[in-house]
Amino acid sequence: MNSPEGPKGSQTNTLPEIGISQILGLVELLISKGGRDDIYKLAAELSMELGETLTVIKAAELLGLVHTPGGDVVVEGPGLKIIDASIPERKELIRCKLETLPVFKSVRDYLKETVDHEVTREEVLEKLAELIPNEDAESSFSTLVNWGRYAELFGYNDDSQTFYLDSGETTE
Amino acid sequence: MTEQPQTLIELDHVTKRFTLPQGDVTVLQDISFKAVEGEFITIVGPSGAGKSTLLRLMNGLLHPNEGKVLYQGKQMRGINYETAMVFQNFGLLPWLTVSQNIELGLEARTKDPVLRSERVRMYTTKVGLEGYEEAYPRELSGGMKQRVGLARALAIEPSLLLMDEPFSSLDVLTSINLRNELLDIWSDRDNVVNTMIMVTHNIEEAIELSDRIIVLSNRPGRIVGDIRIDLPRPRKKRDKGFIEYVDRVFSLLA
Repeated sequence: MNSPEGPKGSQTNTLPEIGISQILGLVELLISKGGRDDIYKLAAELSMELGETLTVIKAAELLGLVHTPGGDVVVEGPGLKIIDASIPERKELIRCKLETLPVFKSVRDYLKETVDHEVTREEVLEKLAELIPNEDAESSFSTLVNWGRYAELFGYNDDSQTFYLDSGETTE
Repeated sequence: MTEQPQTLIELDHVTKRFTLPQGDVTVLQDISFKAVEGEFITIVGPSGAGKSTLLRLMNGLLHPNEGKVLYQGKQMRGINYETAMVFQNFGLLPWLTVSQNIELGLEARTKDPVLRSERVRMYTTKVGLEGYEEAYPRELSGGMKQRVGLARALAIEPSLLLMDEPFSSLDVLTSINLRNELLDIWSDRDNVVNTMIMVTHNIEEAIELSDRIIVLSNRPGRIVGDIRIDLPRPRKKRDKGFIEYVDRVFSLLA
C-alpha cells in the first residue's frame, strides 16, 4: 500500500489521459515478459517516448495494476489477475480500485447525494477544480468519464452534459 | 472433434484488373486458396500488393475479371451477406452513439427492433463496451472505437469476419490488448463466427495471431507463400520458433 504523500496530494488526483485498452495492453505485455521490465528498455522496445511510457505506467499504477520500484515496472495485485479474467471480472477489478480514488469517489458520492442522482458537467468540473487545484480540470475530465464508463461506476450523457448513476446500480 | 472442417470460401485462379486512364492495371494475379471453417488466416504483403482488394473480392464488393470466388461451394455473384468487415479507420458515424453505430449493420438484415436491440446489447457486452452505450465516437479512445467496429461486425453474426489492418491505426499498447481480445473471441466456440481473414503489413502480428499466412508479392499481387504457423498459443515474439517464422515470411517478401 502506498502511503499518502502530503505535498503531492493534488498531483496524485490528476488523471492521465490514457485509455483503458492501453493500460491493459501494458499489463499484458509485462506479463508476457515475466511480470516486470526496465522502464527505459520498455520505452525503447515500444518505440515510445519515455515521457509517454511513464504516463501509461502512471495510469496503470493509479489503477493498482503495477508498481515502480527503482527504474522497473512490476505487475502487482489485481494486475496479476486481470489478464486471465473475463471482461466483467476486469471491469469489477477496475471498479473496486476506482471507488478508492478520491476523484471517482467524490463524483460518485455527489451523485448518490443528489435527489435525482444526476449532476451536470459544470458541477463535476467544479469538484475536479477543488480536488486538483493546480491543474486544468478539463484535462482530467475525459479520463474521469472514460474510466467511470468502463467500470460502470457512473454514466455520462454528452448531449445533456449530465452524469448519472449507472443502471442496475442500487443506491445505498 | 471428428467432423472434417468444411471449406468456407475458395478463390479459384482469381485475377483482378482495374481500368485507369493510363491503361489496365493488374492488381491481383492468379490467386487460389481455400479457407476452412474455424481458420484464422492473415494476408501479408507490401503496400500495393492488392491485400484490401482481395478482402473486397471475398465480401462481394468487387468481382474478379478472371477466375471465381466460391462461398460454401457456390459461385459468388453479388454482395456476400455472410461476411462482415472491420476497417482500419473504424468506419464509425460520428453523429451516432456507440449503440447506434453497432446497430447500423443490423438494420438492413433484421426488421425486428427487439431482436436488434438484444443483439446490440449482447455484442456490446462481449467486447467490453458496456457503460459506453450512449457515448459518441469523439469521446472514445482508439481502442474503444475499434471495439465498436468489432461489435458492429460481430452483431451481424457473419460466418466469415474480414478485417482490413484493424490494428494499424492504434498505438502499440492498445493493439496488444485488442489482439488478445480478438483471439479470445476467435477461440470462443460459442461465437457464431470462428473463421477470420485479416490483412496486415505487420509480420509479427500475423505470426502471433494466425493459423496460416498467405504472402503476396508486390503488384501484381501473386501468392508467393502459404505458410502454416505451427506454434502453440499464446505465442511469444522472443521464442526461437517465432523468430524462425519471421525470417521465413520476411525472406519471401524481400
